[in-house]
Amino acid sequence: MAKVLIPTPLRQFAEKHDSVELTGTTVAEVLASLTQKFPDLRKQLFNDEGKMRSFVNVYLNDDDIRYLQKDATPVAAGDTLSIVPSIAGGV
Amino acid sequence: MIKIGETAWKAMVAHAEAKFPNECCGAMIGSIDGDVKDVTLAQPLENAYSGAQGARYELRPEDLLEADKKARAAGLDLIGIFHSHPDCDAYFSKTDLENSCPWYSFVVLSVKGGKFDHANSFLPNAEQTVAEKEELIWPKS
Repeated sequence: MAKVLIPTPLRQFAEKHDSVELTGTTVAEVLASLTQKFPDLRKQLFNDEGKMRSFVNVYLNDDDIRYLQKDATPVAAGDTLSIVPSIAGGV
Repeated sequence: MIKIGETAWKAMVAHAEAKFPNECCGAMIGSIDGDVKDVTLAQPLENAYSGAQGARYELRPEDLLEADKKARAAGLDLIGIFHSHPDCDAYFSKTDLENSCPWYSFVVLSVKGGKFDHANSFLPNAEQTVAEKEELIWPKS
């Protein structure tokens, strides 16, 4: 089981859990378990085409999965996945 | 509604004024009770934008992750993001909108001539096409 940390604003879509333990051997499988358990989270994380929204980053422990094997990154028992947005802006 | 406590507000304004004429950015931490977001702590973060920072800011996701971990460890929540608009009003620009996310409150501080002028808070949608204005209360002194 891997732990997924739920950001505060998304807890309303995850029965108010701040983290959940889920099965899966890759990032994609764990995220599929997450959205299967909490279907309302799907729209927050993925667009209508099923692609991860552009502002969504996933970290495996302290590493951005974009620099690992993206959603095929292996997940081991005891690992922690964090969902972190990309944020920027300007005048 | 988002209410910002005195300690957090002073930290936000001090960071925005110190970084003038560049844009500053940071995380707002606190608790949520129903429709009221209560910010008790502001964590200044580094503007990681690689070009001129007078009109741009960028948060490193890992810095935000660290701020979230600190908030969790303190039994608090990451509630929002703040940034400044140097010599410009506190509106939510096209650049802000296109690089936003719908999960947090976005407080914009207008800093004119190096001094805080006014602020507004916004709630962008998931498609990054519209940002609704949110009631913002800060300590007036």
